Formats: sequence, structure tokens, C-alpha cells
Amino acid sequence: MTAWTRRLRAFFGIEYALMLTYRAEILLWAVATCLPLIMLGVWSQAAESGDFVRSPAWMARYFIAVFLVRQVTIVWVIHHFEFLVVSGRLSPQLLLPVDPVWRYAVAHLAEQACRLPIVVVMLIGCLLLFPTAWRGDAAVGPWAPGLGAVAGGVLACMAAFTLRFVLQYTFALLAFWVERVAAVHELVYLLILFASGMVAPLEVFPAAARDAVLWTPFPWLVWFPAKLLMGESAPVLRGFVTLGGWILVLAVINRVVWRCGLKHHSAMGA
Amino acid sequence: MRRYGKTLCRFWGVSVAAEMEYRANFVISCLTTVLTLGGALFTVGLLFQNGHTPGGYSWPAALTVLGVYTLLDGLQQTLLAPNRAALTEHVRSGTLDFVLLKPMHAQFWLSLRRFSPWGLTDVAGGLALVAYAGWCLGVSPRAALTGGVAVLLGGVILYAVGFLLATLTIWFVKLYNITIAMSALLEAGRYPIQAYPAVYRAFFTAVLPVAFMTSVPAAALRGEAGVWWLVGLAAVSGATFGASCLFWRFALRFYTSASS
Amino acid sequence: MRAVVVEKLSKTYRVADKTPGLRGAVRHLVRRRHRVVPAVREISFSIEPGEVVGFLGANGAGKTTVMKMLTGLVHPTSGTVRVVGHEPRRRRAALLRQITLVMGNKQQLVWDLPAGDTLRLNAAIYGIPDAEARRRTDALCGALGLGRDQELTQPVRKLSLGQRMKCELVAALLHHPKVLFLDEPTLGLDVNAQTAVRDFVRRYNAEHGASVLLTSHYMADITALCDRVIVIHRGRLHFDGRLDELAARFAPERQVRVELADPADAGVLSAYGAVEKVEGRAATLRVARDDVPGAVNRLLSRHRVVDLTVADAPIDEVVEKLFADADADASADAERTA
Repeated sequence: MTAWTRRLRAFFGIEYALMLTYRAEILLWAVATCLPLIMLGVWSQAAESGDFVRSPAWMARYFIAVFLVRQVTIVWVIHHFEFLVVSGRLSPQLLLPVDPVWRYAVAHLAEQACRLPIVVVMLIGCLLLFPTAWRGDAAVGPWAPGLGAVAGGVLACMAAFTLRFVLQYTFALLAFWVERVAAVHELVYLLILFASGMVAPLEVFPAAARDAVLWTPFPWLVWFPAKLLMGESAPVLRGFVTLGGWILVLAVINRVVWRCGLKHHSAMGA
Repeated sequence: MRRYGKTLCRFWGVSVAAEMEYRANFVISCLTTVLTLGGALFTVGLLFQNGHTPGGYSWPAALTVLGVYTLLDGLQQTLLAPNRAALTEHVRSGTLDFVLLKPMHAQFWLSLRRFSPWGLTDVAGGLALVAYAGWCLGVSPRAALTGGVAVLLGGVILYAVGFLLATLTIWFVKLYNITIAMSALLEAGRYPIQAYPAVYRAFFTAVLPVAFMTSVPAAALRGEAGVWWLVGLAAVSGATFGASCLFWRFALRFYTSASS
Repeated sequence: MRAVVVEKLSKTYRVADKTPGLRGAVRHLVRRRHRVVPAVREISFSIEPGEVVGFLGANGAGKTTVMKMLTGLVHPTSGTVRVVGHEPRRRRAALLRQITLVMGNKQQLVWDLPAGDTLRLNAAIYGIPDAEARRRTDALCGALGLGRDQELTQPVRKLSLGQRMKCELVAALLHHPKVLFLDEPTLGLDVNAQTAVRDFVRRYNAEHGASVLLTSHYMADITALCDRVIVIHRGRLHFDGRLDELAARFAPERQVRVELADPADAGVLSAYGAVEKVEGRAATLRVARDDVPGAVNRLLSRHRVVDLTVADAPIDEVVEKLFADADADASADAERTA
């Protein structure tokens, strides 16, 4: 156990130093994932008319929560892994006595640690721009989630990150066989984009559409953690069971694909 | 002029030949276009529930904006993004040297060298959407012509802003994904500019001229754009294009090609 | 008109100071320190049409920076450059059509496509009609031993390093430039490919009367191709003249190789000069330039000599010594001023 923690800490140290040298890119990535803030503009303005079931303050709060969830669940392992395979740099990593997946996972955490200050600044900016988000309005009270809600939200974010990581890493492993896996995964990302509640809260979906997407893993990646962070009621049990179940299934598939991929990789003499 | 035309043909011939190695991409790009358009239509549709009209737009009017956005997004994927990526890659690996040594306008080369046919599915999707919305609205041929020119001018702004930002890599090699950040902000162009709060409207008109890329050309297409908006569009596209040329020439003075 | 004229050319770079490690990275984030590094200091020289000039200097001496200023890629901090009468940094087409740059560590060929595609592209860029381009390609390929239907039709990534460099040369010379800048063109090549490239450059120079400025870490390239060499060290010009003068100036000793009828004895031979090595009956001595006739005379009269040759010290040793001298001068200067 101590050997493991030592190893992970060493990984984190070097990845954090590396990520610090990439701080300009990380700033740009933070800006590049600002879609929830664009949708915040659209939906809070739309809610001003009173044509929707939720108030402008609720919309602003929802999309700021989505923004936070989005920031802590950014996964880019597929681009990194595809580069490693195509450029032939994976092979030296395979010689190490540690499965490289730990290195990639730690790199994501290090990158998030580097991005944190930027996220905080952007968050403060949003709260200043939309004061009703925390103050509340006639329809909703101030933004004061209980300790349990925050803990649940953080846990849900971690689960969502894990699921996205395992999902993307499983697709990334296909790079052993096919080229341009990132383009294939883009299709999955589009599903996440439109079905997860990132571009519109599930509350404004027609009832049939809402029920349908709730059977997919996507809303649990964004809408569910965001609802918890808002301090609103959410199907907690169903959420965590769905997230956990998908993580488990994909992890098993991932290990199988990894073994086959390695066999294929060594057979190609790469 | 003929030399440039012939070179352009060869450029694109070489690019398409290289892309044909990945023919499965055609299926992927078709699926991507269908999914993106479907998702966007769904999202815009959500805004039209309960009799709501975002920014006072009718459904077909909103579709013109979405159509112009998709069209420009296709242009972006076909020409602009691949060339920006190639430019930053040239700077990173130092092969910009070879481009600069050719007796050819370097900005022409760096803006048009690559051609990725996979973005054409988005161009087609955008055109179809615009055509459908235009048919619903009964757009006059004259408005369609003005709109076509306006869309081209919007494309020029998109190109110029992207090239301007990509030029920054001459100094800051690590800023190579600045254009990714820009593309993300451009997503705002999917929705009519009038559907945003005032702060957003100001930002997307004066700072990052997204309004001039999609909303204004779409209005011209519907024959609703005022003269001053069209003058503004022409001015902004001329100014950004001129700025991109001047800035590029300025940046070259600082190119050290030190990566060797 | 001279091919290249350089007067008092200087270039300084501004570089960021960065201490390694996490703390260094954080500190750099807070306060950046910059240093001004002079890469090239007041260099002047000129090259005549048809001349082949070797450009020598250790790594980081400023060779590549000078090459890049001559091709207009890097703008000089001060001084003037004229290449075939043009100022390179203006990048006029009239100049660019007459020059070329080949770099051993960078390639212009498109990695995933056959070299033939890049050649066709270059033909269009330089406005060379297709028939003429084909004729030139055949001629260049013939001189390099490349098959137009073999190497040129394979994706570049599948070619060996030697084949790739040969294709690079064809692409770089398709427009028949008058001035060639070759920066380490033989880098990493095996001996056969090196000789082929060398012979090709000599032939091109003879056929087209082109000027060549060549850098190489392989002294064999320099000695085979260049009559004249320019040596720079730490951004300063240290020598400009004929190759044999370089040896005369900087190597005051010559090498005397002698083969005796009897086994050689280092102790006995040291009477004639510094003994470098003894192998059986053969020995190599180092003798001061002026003492060579006397020493040879005595050797021949006192020993049974089978064979005897006198040569300059190997050129790399000469250059090495030159750099060492220059460094010693520099540090002596520094001490004097301190």
C-alpha cells in the first residue's frame, strides 16, 4: 500500500510540474469548455419571459452548477493515448512495472489541480454577472445546499469523472486496431452533449424525452451532480446505482480490451 | 494568378489524396453532422415550447441562424481549422522555414494549403437547412443573393479572427489550441443574438463578432437586415481581414525558427 | 554580382531564464527573468558565384542563425545582408526563386505522401511547366541514383534516411537555384549515402555554376567539397580563407608517418619529434612545421626507412584546437578585464 501511495505521489508531482508548464493551454481548455455559460445566457434570457417552468434565477444556478460539474469531469485521455500509439511512444511505457492507466488518471487530476484557480475566477465572474443565481428570486430561495447535498454532489462528480474516464479510455484502447479513434469518440461526446442536460435542463425536456434519456447513462454524468450541488432533490439511489453499474461494466470490458489490445500490439511488433 | 490557381489545385489534390486513406471518416462525418444537427434542432426546439419565441424569432427564422452556423462550421472544418492546425504545427516543428522560402504569398499558402473533404457534410447540412427555412419564409431571390454575399463576409470574419489568433503562435508556441477556445465561443452563433442577455449581446458583437458571422447574414438572407447592419458587416469583415494580413507581416519579424 | 555579401551582421536573442523543477516552474510563473544572448556578432564575409564554402563551428556557434539570416527567415538585429543583390528579409519572389535551403534535421517532403507529390507541388509553386519539371526530376534523380518509379512513388515515411535526404535534395533543387544553403545535409547518413550526396553537390555546382554554403559535422564533406572555409565560434568570425591555410595557421605541427625496416622504439624516435603512436614498425610523429625538413633528413640517414609521408594534422583536430585557442583567448580577455 505504501509503495502504491508513494508511486502515485511521485506521478502526481511530475505531472503537476508538467501541467504547470502547460498553464496557457489549460487556461484555453477552461475557456473551450464554456458551453454551459453560453447556454446560461440563452436559458436565463428565455426564462425571463415566464414561458418556462423554471425562473431565471433557477436557470442561472443550474448552468453554473453544470459549469462546475463540466470542469471537474473533463477527460482527454483518448487524445493522449491515440498520440502515444500513433507516435510509437506507448511501447516504452509498457516496459514499466506499472499499468500506464494510473499515470493517465493522475495526469488528469494534476491537470484539474492546475485548472482550479481559473475555474474559481470564472465562477466568481459568473456569480457577479448573475447575482440572482445565489440570491434567488421570487420563485427560488438563496443558493444554500446542505452539507449532505454538497457531499453527495462531490461524490457524484467523482463518479461522473470516473465513468467518463473509463468510457473514454475504453474507446481509446481501440487505437490498437483502428486509426482516428478520437473522431469515433466524438460521436459519443455528441450524445453526452445533448442528452446529459448540458445544453438544456431535463426539467424543460418533454416528459417522454426526459423519461427516455434517464434510462441512458448520460444525464447522470451532468444533470444529476448539478442537481445535488444546487441542493435540490434528485433520485440519489438511482443515480449512484446507474453510475456505479456503468463504471463496473465498462471497467470489465476495458480490462478485456486492454489484454486483447496488448496481444495485438505485440503481434504487430510495435 | 495562373500559377496560384494551379498551385491551389495541387494543394487540394494532395490533401484529398491523403485524406482518402481514411475513408471510414466519411461515415463518421455523416453521422457527426446528423447527430449535431439533430441535437441542435432539438435544443432550439426546446426554446420554442409553450409559445415562447426566443429573441422574437419565428421557428424558420431561428433555423436560418442555425443553418448559417452549420454552414460556417463546415467551412471551418473544411478549410480554416486544418490550415490553422498546419500553421501551428509548422511553427512548432520549424518547417515554416520551407513555406517562407517559397516564392509565394505565405498567408495564401498557410490559409489554403489544406483541404479536408469531411467538413463538406456540414456544409451540405447547413445549405439544406437554410434552403428549407428560406422556402418556409418565401425568401425573394434578391434577399437570397444579398444573404449569400453576407454569409461569405461572415466567413471572412471567421477566417480572419482565426488566422489572427493562430498567428500568435509565432510568439507563444504553446497557444496552439487558442483556436479551439475560439471555436467553443463561436458555438454561441447557433442561437439568434437577440436571444441573449445584454452583456452577452455586447460581447458577441463588439469583442468576438459572432453576431456578424451568423445572425446578421441570416437576417440579410431573410431580407430583414437594415442597411446599417450590412454596412457594419462589410466594415467588420474588411477590418478583421486587413488586421490579419498586417498582423501576420508584423509577426514574421519576430519569427526566430529557433526550434532547430 | 556577388552571390552573398554580409557586413557586420549581428543577432541577439532574448531568452527566458528558467530553473528546472517544480519550484523553478512556480518561480518562473511569478517573476520571469530574461537574458539577452548574442548569437552572432559583427560577422562580415562574401561569396562569389560558383564558390563552394564550408561553414565551420561547434554546436551553438551561430552557424544556423547565420544561414537563417541569409535566407531571410530570421531578421538581423544589425548589419546588412545581400544575397544575389536582394535583401533576404524582404522575401521577394525574385530572390526566393534563386536560393534554396536544405536542412538535415527538417524536411519539406509531406510525410504521408510519395515524394513525387511534393515535387509536383513545387513545380506548380515555382511555375515550372510539367514537361520541364519531369525533365529536371529525371536529371536530378539520375545524378542521385534515385528511381523515378521507385523511391518517388512510395510514401516518404517508408523511405530510408538516405533515400529521404536524396528526395529532399531533388525537391530543393527542382527550381535550379543559384545559391544553395546546405545545413548539415549529411546528418545521420551512412558512408555510401554521404558520398553520393557529396558527389551530387559537386556535380550540381559544376553544371549550374551555383554557389554553395555548407555546414557539416563530417570534416570529410568539407575537405571533399570546399576550397574555402569560414570558421565562426561563439558568434564571432575566426577564420576566412583557404582550407590549407587553416591548417598552416592553426596547426603549427605536421604529422610525419614513418615505416621502418626494424621494430620502432618510441624512446629513439622521440629525438625527432613528439611520438603520437607506435605500432610495430610504424610510427606517427608530430614535428614543428619548420623542423620537418631537418627531422626527415636525419630520420632517413640514421634509420632504414621503408616508407615516409608528411601530412597536415587531421582537419577536425585543427578545428578543435582553433576552438580551444579561441576559448582560451576569451577567458584570458575576461580575466584581464576582471
